[in-house]
Amino acid sequence: MADVYAIEALKKALRRLPGVGPKTARRMAFHLLERDREGAREIAAAINQAVQTVTHCRRCNTLSEAQLCDICASAKRDDALLCVVETPADLESVEQAGVYSGKYFVLMGHISPLDGIGPDDLGIDRLRQLLSNGGIREVIVATNLTVEGEATADYIRQITDTLDVKVTRLARGVPVGGELEYMDHGTLAQAFNDRRSI
Amino acid sequence: MRVHQQPGYVLHTRPYRESSLLVEVFTKDHGRLSLLAKGARQLKSRIRGLLCPFQSLLLSWSGRGELPILTAAEFDQAYAELTGEHRLCGFYVNELLMYLLHRHDPHSRLYDCYRQVVDRLAQSCDYEWSLRIFEKNLLRELGYALNLEYDATTNQAIDPKSSYSYVPEFGAVKVTAGGYNGVIVNGSTLITLHREELADEYAKAECKRLMRVMINRQLGRRVLHSRKLFGGLRVAAAGGAER
Repeated sequence: MADVYAIEALKKALRRLPGVGPKTARRMAFHLLERDREGAREIAAAINQAVQTVTHCRRCNTLSEAQLCDICASAKRDDALLCVVETPADLESVEQAGVYSGKYFVLMGHISPLDGIGPDDLGIDRLRQLLSNGGIREVIVATNLTVEGEATADYIRQITDTLDVKVTRLARGVPVGGELEYMDHGTLAQAFNDRRSI
Repeated sequence: MRVHQQPGYVLHTRPYRESSLLVEVFTKDHGRLSLLAKGARQLKSRIRGLLCPFQSLLLSWSGRGELPILTAAEFDQAYAELTGEHRLCGFYVNELLMYLLHRHDPHSRLYDCYRQVVDRLAQSCDYEWSLRIFEKNLLRELGYALNLEYDATTNQAIDPKSSYSYVPEFGAVKVTAGGYNGVIVNGSTLITLHREELADEYAKAECKRLMRVMINRQLGRRVLHSRKLFGGLRVAAAGGAER
């Protein structure tokens, strides 16, 4: 019955992926074993490779193969600007927007008491260290505009209080192309609070 | 089962599958329950901005079983944002409800207290006393009401001028009676808390100590992360040197 054990182990392993339940795991396992053994080997090798080589950039904490990620190593990026984001995916989004030329710091999450995640579980200590090394003029806090993201932003503002650095927060309000009629009250209220002179 | 426009608050949300959200809510007539907000994390979702903690909402859902589906959500009153310390207090209150309330038990009186606390937190006014009253009512709803009116040994009314030792799950005993190892509080403080009258600073501090002991008993070994964060934030504000 060793074979059955191997299939069960594969199903169990696949279930660790987000959004994969028992049924999906079974389908995936049988697909790989019955129809696509080559693909299965490729996946296994790719996972192995990634797990062995990908670590955290020692400056910005994002996922990187080198000790220093491409952005941190780049001489073209402005060292005096630091954008703090929650995840590598957020970093990628800001990059795609193409408006930012400074460097990043990735927290790898947000403060969420109800999930039991506190500042110690994030890279906040490393951020504090990076900031106290000096040379940074402005910190742009680009955590999500959720209560958890705002709580994280608050915390970052507090730890920068004693440092000589400007701290800014992403603006919130009506999205590009937004029509007021269809806007939720929360967004509209915040857009009013954060209005600017033109 | 179909529920239409039920007043409620979001306590917490969690991503679910590709684009949905698991929403933990506290409602007036249905207590605490989980709802599935399908597609709420998609860019075009019109309710994502509403499903935030501390907003008074009207929620509609349908379905039986453990995970009914959220069909509509709208604001019940103007958008109210909690900031800074007030937000942390909001997390604290939500954490208490998540840990201590059973699902599907209605607690409409507690709901009113919750609403009051959140309103006060949003207005950034003195919220401490509302927190104490909320904690007191939470304990009562859980079946661990404090006996703040009568001396637990003599059954006489609490004397505002005497000092009492409050023993959890027993009650207040005059300190002069001796032999009881509870939280020391003034009689007047117990009466103020019972009547939910305005308290002076001294009574507030005493109540805070008393309620902390009482709440901790309910929590058992569970740690409140919002409380920890509160402490950590004050240290961070002081320069982080004490860490």
